[in-house]
Amino acid sequence: MKHTLILLAALLAAGAAQAVTTTKLTVNGMVCAFCAQGIEKKLKAMPATEAVYVNLADKVVAVQAKDGQTLDVDKIRAEVKDAGYDVVKVETVADTVDAMRSAAKAGKQ
Amino acid sequence: MKLRRAAAALLLAAAGAAQGAPMGFKDSQMAMGDFGPRWREAWVNHAFTARDAIGVGGLTMRSDDDRLSREVAEATYTRLVHRVNLPHAQANAWFVMGLGGIRGNDFGGTRTLLAPGLQLDYETTRVYVAAFARLYRADDLNHDYAALRAGFSFYEVEYEQTQPWLVLEARRMRGLSEQIEWTPMLRFINKSWFVEAGANQDGDARFNFMYIL
Repeated sequence: MKHTLILLAALLAAGAAQAVTTTKLTVNGMVCAFCAQGIEKKLKAMPATEAVYVNLADKVVAVQAKDGQTLDVDKIRAEVKDAGYDVVKVETVADTVDAMRSAAKAGKQ
Repeated sequence: MKLRRAAAALLLAAAGAAQGAPMGFKDSQMAMGDFGPRWREAWVNHAFTARDAIGVGGLTMRSDDDRLSREVAEATYTRLVHRVNLPHAQANAWFVMGLGGIRGNDFGGTRTLLAPGLQLDYETTRVYVAAFARLYRADDLNHDYAALRAGFSFYEVEYEQTQPWLVLEARRMRGLSEQIEWTPMLRFINKSWFVEAGANQDGDARFNFMYIL
């Protein structure tokens, strides 16, 4: 019984460690890759950032956190605003940016 | 009346450029070149805020009949005056001020050049229009310049992919060209660069690029 509980705890801990936290922003005015790359560069440089996803057609900027780290959502919002765009919505989702990219591609097919 | 006409010309000229933003994002450096048989221009600038950039540039121009030539070297200040962010579009008003020197083959020495300009642009991920006007002024010289650009992309692409566009530009410079130069160009944009290539109505080739770091 004791071994079972330890195993369950370990599995839960491993699951929690792999939980993905991604901050997804909806951004108005972001229509040009040449201009929007400023956002990507700034967000990639943040210490808790694992990956960044930009989708101009869907107006989405998503930042995936590194395992066990917390994203500074206010700073993300501020970086996008400083780059000259308007953030109209901020969400926290459990998808990886790769999953979001795949879903966007699948949606177009 | 003259002022009103000048303002109207500036606004008309500004009706068009989006992906030709004259500066990049904060802390970025941008390089730009525009090369043809009668017009060669290159400049670099550094954006020290999200709305302000300083830079240096050079321009050489020749008249349609090849009799007159001009050489310009200038320091520039660029300012994003106003931006409107819409759900699927963006519109900008840019101001540029150049201060430098101009030389010509029909006068001696170097004259001080003052060159204020205005660009207005509107763009979506598929459509782009821009207007640019610049007053190249020095003692006894007036080479005011205006350009209109409009284009569309052939299809939507992913952010990481290269997007092809077709762009048509009409431009004219007072005192050097008495005709409006029409240039259709193919444009390819990727994240950190764009290039354009085309030929005007006289068959003169044109090549432009922008690179942002």
